[in-house]
Amino acid sequence: MSLRILAAVMIALSISGCGGGVQSQEPLRAFAPADLDANAGTWQMIVLTGPTQFSVPPPAPVTDASYQAELASIRASQAQMTSAQLDSIREWSGGAVLRWNQILRELVARADLPPAPRGDGSIPAPDPNNPFAEPNFPFANPPYAARAYSYVAVAQYEALKVAWYYKYLYRRPAPAKVDGSIRAVGPVTDLPAYPAEDAVISGVTAELLKLLFPTGVEQITLAAGEERQAALLAGKASSSDIAAGLALGQAVAQMFISRASADGMRGAAGSAPLWKALEDAAIARGETPWKSLETPVRPPMLPFFGKVQTWMMTSADIAAERPAPPPSTSSAQMAAELAEVRSAVDNITRDQLATVHKWADGVSTPTPPGHWDAIAVPYISAAHYSEVRAARALALLNMAMHDAAVGCWDTKFAYFNPRPSQLDPRVQTLVGLPNFPSYESGHSTFSAAAAAVLSHLFPDGSADFAAQRDEAALSRLYGGIHYRSDIDVGKQHGERIAGYTLRFAQHDGAE
Amino acid sequence: MKATAGAGWLAAAIALSHSYEVHAQTIEDGHLLAAHELRTGLSYTHDSWDEYWEGARKRVNGNIGTVTTRTASFNAAYGLTDKLDLFAIVPYVRTHASQGVLHDMEGFQDLTLAAKLQVLDKPFTAAGSLRAFGVVGGAVPLSDYTPDFMPLSIGSASERIFGRLTAHFAATRGWFVTGTTAYTWRDNVRLDRSSYFTQNRLFLTNEVDLPNVFDYALTAGYSNASLMASLSWSEQRTRGGGDIRRQDMPFVSNDMDLSRVSVGLEYALPALPNLRLQLGYAYTLDGRNVGQASTATMGATYRFDFDGGSEP
Repeated sequence: MSLRILAAVMIALSISGCGGGVQSQEPLRAFAPADLDANAGTWQMIVLTGPTQFSVPPPAPVTDASYQAELASIRASQAQMTSAQLDSIREWSGGAVLRWNQILRELVARADLPPAPRGDGSIPAPDPNNPFAEPNFPFANPPYAARAYSYVAVAQYEALKVAWYYKYLYRRPAPAKVDGSIRAVGPVTDLPAYPAEDAVISGVTAELLKLLFPTGVEQITLAAGEERQAALLAGKASSSDIAAGLALGQAVAQMFISRASADGMRGAAGSAPLWKALEDAAIARGETPWKSLETPVRPPMLPFFGKVQTWMMTSADIAAERPAPPPSTSSAQMAAELAEVRSAVDNITRDQLATVHKWADGVSTPTPPGHWDAIAVPYISAAHYSEVRAARALALLNMAMHDAAVGCWDTKFAYFNPRPSQLDPRVQTLVGLPNFPSYESGHSTFSAAAAAVLSHLFPDGSADFAAQRDEAALSRLYGGIHYRSDIDVGKQHGERIAGYTLRFAQHDGAE
Repeated sequence: MKATAGAGWLAAAIALSHSYEVHAQTIEDGHLLAAHELRTGLSYTHDSWDEYWEGARKRVNGNIGTVTTRTASFNAAYGLTDKLDLFAIVPYVRTHASQGVLHDMEGFQDLTLAAKLQVLDKPFTAAGSLRAFGVVGGAVPLSDYTPDFMPLSIGSASERIFGRLTAHFAATRGWFVTGTTAYTWRDNVRLDRSSYFTQNRLFLTNEVDLPNVFDYALTAGYSNASLMASLSWSEQRTRGGGDIRRQDMPFVSNDMDLSRVSVGLEYALPALPNLRLQLGYAYTLDGRNVGQASTATMGATYRFDFDGGSEP
């Protein structure tokens, strides 16, 4: 009898469903853009000289037998659509630029792992020519990620402006608009379909991502193929719309791949003699040089990333915007700031700890630039932007954050300033200690640049962006890894750097 | 009736081998208290490891060195009837890494409550008797600690319920054998961040699905009125979750498995038969996404009898 009661209790417990699956808190819901941005083909280019730099041949007329055969093929495919295909259409109809940004954040988080030390204590470097070997290439640390997000966003944006130019030059409607027997599955607008924007985005994005995240090749190519298939099945694009878009996207990608091969990234890691020179220079200035607090000692993260090419600034601009030196490591101000860090950590509140962990953005995360993209995506989604305007928003945001990364790394390695735990080993940290110099705070620089761009794009959100910026910046003090001057100076620096992007945005023809 | 502390109270340390899923002093064993008998006690556990399994790969990590977890627990067991005992445990946990810069964590961990019902008690040949028990219980975090600072978080911060079945064979001359198995359902936990990467996916949510946990243990031992000694072998299997990736931090929903041996000793002072002292030691032989822990426990319990003092 009691056994039976026990069995009943056990069954009840199992049915009560302790735990279970989790839902994405960043859903992309299908929408039709509020404005098709018909003039986007005239918006100012960033890397390209103009839309006609790439040619797209005229499409066959819709009355042509070849096009009619394409329509028949869509009809046949729609007649036997599976629920998986319907889900795929839904997934991509929330905005392909936004969906790719989510995929990119996953690729970054997956690759955001520092190389493990070898048995002898040396630290191997990831090899782009052997990306699957341990340690995998890349180590998507914050500077690497900032650059990757910006390449993808800018290349998508440039490719879409070209696509828009040809769309409104040829004005071929979407299949569902040409032929009443083809269903519009999800939103299909009056945007001309040739070349197909989904194919352009899939082509330009996949080519760049295969370069930036070579071990993700399977996921990348599957997602790109799925996006094109979804456009076709949704009645948005025919196979010739897609072929033209894919060719255009891939061609634009090549231009960015060339740029990436010569943008200074290859030299960003430096070498042992160059690392030593940074240390010697700090000593010559009479300062305590930064040192790695890891065991075994790890080389600094990308010490020459400050020389990588920027989007909206020249190298002279980077030099001109470099902040004044931090307080001397032997100064009374540094002692006071160090005491403040120690006190903050020792008197941490639960709310402050939540802020530290919210903004940890350490290993296996999309990093701070990805965190700001995640903040931006719901705003872009709610604005019901066209693909080209969504791409513009992410391009502006990620250009500013890349330039901020370059400016921040230039500053960090110009001054080579030690972390609080180096100057006072009693400072225990509430977040992983980044393996590069302290001054200035990367989170503060990234966040100020991001908040400035997003406040320009979405003025209604500016209070939210400012609050998140300040929270991100201060989280590094609470966490025990940054002094207050790292944070204050980083915020000012990031905001100045964003100014370069904003001056472009105000006159690019889109506002 | 003996309120022994068998291997059960050595199971105090699980998962990265600190007191992650604390169980009661006698939730797992094959004994019962007398009706209206109350036993309360304090225990102290010192758990440490310097090698851990990153997935299946065993390694050391110079940025954490030796991770030590010290746990002070208050526990209480009450015999509601001759066949039904109630349990409560409150642990206070402090973690520390001997190398690197990461901050210690400390606080009250999880309150565990359980009810243990004897469902079978019958003579079993001339050699002894067989008893069986069913236990249901649950655990709830006592403080808002973070589970997102592994391996230094003080626990998983999840609400849990569990069901346990125990069979206990007591021979006539004090020898005993106990087998026990449990299944623990764990509720989702929420992190302070809006995304996390595990099992090869970036989850765009702060909510983490924790896999359930299955465990079992076999204990053999000897007990008389003043002494109890036992030797146990126990296994924990997490029913899902991801591995720690190469050079990654551990994560709360990792697939944490382990095999462990433990010894336990309990002694009642002849002059103070209501006071019992416990000593234990456990060692993790093999594991996955956990530390290879050595765990030492000492404790004392005191018996109150609200029926007016029949012999314990």
